[in-house]
Amino acid sequence: MNLMESLALALKNICASKMRTFLTMLGIIIGVSAVIVIVGLGNGMQKYMEDSFAEMGTNTLTVMITGRGSSRAVSEDDMYRIVEENPEYFDQISPTVTMTGAVKIGTESVSSSAVTGVSEDYFSIKGYEIAQGRGLQYVDISTRKKACVVGEYLNRTYFDGDAVGQSLKIGSNKFAIVGVMAQENEEMEEGGTDDCVYLPYSTAARLSSTGTIGSYTVTTVSENASSQAKALLENELYDIFRDDSAYGVISMMEILDLMNSMIDVMITILAAIAAISLVVGGIGIMNIMLVSVSERTREIGIRKALGAKERYIMQQFVIEAATTSLLGGLLGIGFGYLFSSAATVLITQLTGEAMSVIPTAQAITLAVGVSAGIGILFGYLPAKKAARLNPIDALRYD
Amino acid sequence: MNALIEFRQVCKVYHMGDTDVWAANHISMQIYQGEFVAIVGQSGSGKSTCMNIIGCLDVPTSGTYLLDGRDVGQMNKNELAEIRNEKLGFIFQQYNLLPKLTLLENVEVPLMYAGVPRGERRERARIALEMVGLGDKLRHKPSQLSGGQQQRVSIARALVGEPAVILADEPTGALDSRTGREVLGLLKKLHEAGNTVVLITHDNFIAVQAQRIIRLEDGRVIYDGPADRPEAVVTPQLAGEGGAAV
Repeated sequence: MNLMESLALALKNICASKMRTFLTMLGIIIGVSAVIVIVGLGNGMQKYMEDSFAEMGTNTLTVMITGRGSSRAVSEDDMYRIVEENPEYFDQISPTVTMTGAVKIGTESVSSSAVTGVSEDYFSIKGYEIAQGRGLQYVDISTRKKACVVGEYLNRTYFDGDAVGQSLKIGSNKFAIVGVMAQENEEMEEGGTDDCVYLPYSTAARLSSTGTIGSYTVTTVSENASSQAKALLENELYDIFRDDSAYGVISMMEILDLMNSMIDVMITILAAIAAISLVVGGIGIMNIMLVSVSERTREIGIRKALGAKERYIMQQFVIEAATTSLLGGLLGIGFGYLFSSAATVLITQLTGEAMSVIPTAQAITLAVGVSAGIGILFGYLPAKKAARLNPIDALRYD
Repeated sequence: MNALIEFRQVCKVYHMGDTDVWAANHISMQIYQGEFVAIVGQSGSGKSTCMNIIGCLDVPTSGTYLLDGRDVGQMNKNELAEIRNEKLGFIFQQYNLLPKLTLLENVEVPLMYAGVPRGERRERARIALEMVGLGDKLRHKPSQLSGGQQQRVSIARALVGEPAVILADEPTGALDSRTGREVLGLLKKLHEAGNTVVLITHDNFIAVQAQRIIRLEDGRVIYDGPADRPEAVVTPQLAGEGGAAV
């Protein structure tokens, strides 16, 4: 009697009571599909985050300078020097000076617009394109020119798509519009990425109340270099300030890693909770197998009288439990995929974000492995009971 | 010639609370190849115990049981299963067919446990069923058959593995007298073909169909001899009185 024959026998017994088998499997089906959907959800979330961060630039470092009074300061020249001396880590740099105060266009005051002083490299760092006119240039910065580039939102809303050559006011200073940025977001809105004004950082620094540059955006040559680049920047800044509270370096990659590991922890916990139903399903299988052993006591007695060794009886019941469990696991995968697609549609419709639930091969292998394992584990006890039956008693059993 | 079945002072004791029940009390007997023996006794006489021991379903408390020269008392469960498969063919009162399997599959079961390949198994099972006159019902389920037909399936199952001993436990007990006679006829035919048949029954009319009768009472052998002698069938009480009269 080989394994194939045991398997055929198990399938025969399973088919003989379909409803019971299905109900027995239900726990496993629910468990496996829940694990697949939850892990798929985590996977989708991670992918969504990575995509969003890639848009912002995962090779971007943000340096915040809070300073230590007037005794020690870091100038933009220092920052440019650090970047230029380490070309193996750094690619580009742009100071960023955030301005407060409303933009005035004609007689209208626009408070939603983000006004930032940047260098000529900022647009290539961010991947922004210029649709009309020109971008900021080195001369604009060195001569502290009152020139600016506006976003498509302002261009379309206030200038009827013809902003280049016109002007706007920031505070009491009049700025000539030299260029218009290409539209960044599909849906433009007030306060969005396209509602912006960029001017030379040198001009912005002079106009701002402090007169200093508070932050820099630095790009590294690759994502992998970002943690070393961050460490290097921090060392250099420490050498200048001798105080690590005077500055801060934020790596997008680090934030992404942090968020990814948070999602991982969350998903692991949720998956573990879902896996509890796998255990409950396993107990269901054990329960039904115990009933099945009682029901088939006479059959076991007959088989033993005809020469079945204990291990054959054992094998028969373990394989039956494992097959039930495995079939449940396979159905669970089917349902897992179904629920995943349904969840993708639901999330997309509810949030408008293109986030999808992606079942992973790893989760599927694990779920099926665990379900088969549970079948064997929980089938073992009833099978042992069956194998140990005394043939004389079993034959007499009604 | 060595005996096929040999009991030497076989005892089987069951503990019922404080008392010991001697289901087999120093039984000694020998059954040879090709014999047709009936073991007869009232209920409680120890014949079921005897049948369990002969059938290797149970082992003696003391004494020796040799089956085809091998000491069954020293065997573990696995070896017992093996020797049952190899040496014994069982026919039960309740037929004990597996209800979910077809007749062919039922007859195949002992061969499956013996490790006979599928094709050969099928063929041998078919021949055995044809031999008992059920060659046209191979794919039927036991529930589609009458009691007599079911018992014939169980006879086919008993002889398919070509066992040394065919052990029939009240084979006619659940049948009406006509089908019972048919089944007995089949057993006789098996015996004539050279098989060793051991029949266990409480019924003298059945027992006299055998060549030899072993009568048990209270776990002891009280008669062992040819079936055609009057002492073989008289009740022990009468035998006792008859003995006194002589």
